[in-house]
Amino acid sequence: MSDGGKAEGKSDEENYSVIRSGANHFGREISRTAVAQVCESIGFEGFNESALDSLADIAIRYVCDLGKTSKLYANVAGRAECNVFDVIQGLEDLCMPQGFSGASEIYTDCLMSSGAIREIKDYVEKADEVPFAQPVPQFPVIRERKMIPSFLQIGETPASKHIPAWLPAFPDLHTYVRTPVWNERVSDPRTDKIELARQHRKAERSLLSLQQRLLCNGSSVAATSAEPDVDGHKLEVNKMENPFLSRPSLAGEVDVSSVTLPAKLSSDAHKEKHVSLLETFAPAIEAMKDGLDSGSDGEKILPEKRTSVFLEFKGKKVFGEPLDLRIRKKDSGRTAAWFRPEVEKDDKRRRVEFILRQSMENQQELP
Amino acid sequence: MNGQSSHQQQNDGRHDDDAALTDFLASLMDYTPTIPDELVEHYLAKSGFQCPDVRLTRLVAVATQKFIADVATDALHQCKARQSSIIKDKRDKQQKDKRLILTMEDLSKALGEYGVNVKHQEYYADSPSAGLDPASRDD
Repeated sequence: MSDGGKAEGKSDEENYSVIRSGANHFGREISRTAVAQVCESIGFEGFNESALDSLADIAIRYVCDLGKTSKLYANVAGRAECNVFDVIQGLEDLCMPQGFSGASEIYTDCLMSSGAIREIKDYVEKADEVPFAQPVPQFPVIRERKMIPSFLQIGETPASKHIPAWLPAFPDLHTYVRTPVWNERVSDPRTDKIELARQHRKAERSLLSLQQRLLCNGSSVAATSAEPDVDGHKLEVNKMENPFLSRPSLAGEVDVSSVTLPAKLSSDAHKEKHVSLLETFAPAIEAMKDGLDSGSDGEKILPEKRTSVFLEFKGKKVFGEPLDLRIRKKDSGRTAAWFRPEVEKDDKRRRVEFILRQSMENQQELP
Repeated sequence: MNGQSSHQQQNDGRHDDDAALTDFLASLMDYTPTIPDELVEHYLAKSGFQCPDVRLTRLVAVATQKFIADVATDALHQCKARQSSIIKDKRDKQQKDKRLILTMEDLSKALGEYGVNVKHQEYYADSPSAGLDPASRDD
């Protein structure tokens, strides 16, 4: 049987250095084999796994219960070690449920006439001896714990007098000796702050330049066409307010090519995707410009009529909102939402605007 | 007088008894139970039983073996009774069914008489033909 094979020989002693849960498993397997042998000797020819497992478990429990009862009787008698009489008493206890022969004479002193022990004697005489199939090692094997060698074993003398020589030796010196650690960096909160702000500004500047480059690229590709039925004057008025026409604040930067106001995107411009990019950043630039030369000319020209902007992408109408220039003019520093339904774009715009304003404030604040 | 003699008799009986018990325990030393000593020792130690006497371990082993054998014998009877009742119904049943298999059904019936209530565990998927295959079992 499988566990018998495992139990073979003492040469591979390491295999039996099992942990405690392993010992239980091992015992169970051995019990299974033993029970199977007993059943076989009685006349069974085959087993169901479940029945065999149950019976093996019951055998183990029987041993445990017998041990417990015997121990109980020994302890009651004031002994720590059990003797035969405790075991016999325990056997009689365990025989209780099914009754046993000679039950009426249980209180006689004659132990040999006790039903349980007589039955066992009969069984021993009657039943044929079936030794266990395999040699079983003592289990559980408890592994010899590897101790840390003591000072004596190493042959060292302890570092101090108060440490006895039989104690485990210290590890190597470098593993526990304390060495001081210096923090050589001197930190000045003011310089740290300035440095932080400088890095901040640098990042923002690069972001701004990226935005402007994107804007430039986007505008060159953006193909927008004016609505043909809008009359020239209105177009002119709108053109004055058109953010695409305004020059970027930094003169040295790339020029933004002029773009007519997309009153309505013609159907041939549907494919252009760069429009969205352009529109994303345009308000930021616009806001920056407004912020820089604020109060130059507050209210100049107001459009008499709102022109509505319809942007269509691939035939599907994405957003269509009237371009309310008046509102935008009133709070000049701030960009009003041009395309209100486009929440995502608004977010982007707000973010860009925030960055720009911060960078400008920082410029004023720091030398 | 009469009481004295009976007392004497009882004393003799006790002596005989002790002698018989000692003999029995000594005979256990020659008897090798199927349940190995190591197993019994382990579980006895686990339950707090301590005794250096090997004869007691043997006694426990023999008692356990007897218990198991009794249960198994009852289960065998159950099995035989069941099979005979089936065979009465169907005479031309296969020879295979006559094999004596320890099944949970018989075992739980047999154990019931010993005060152990066991039901077939749900997590075992014993097919009705389990243990029937002689090739797999006898190997």
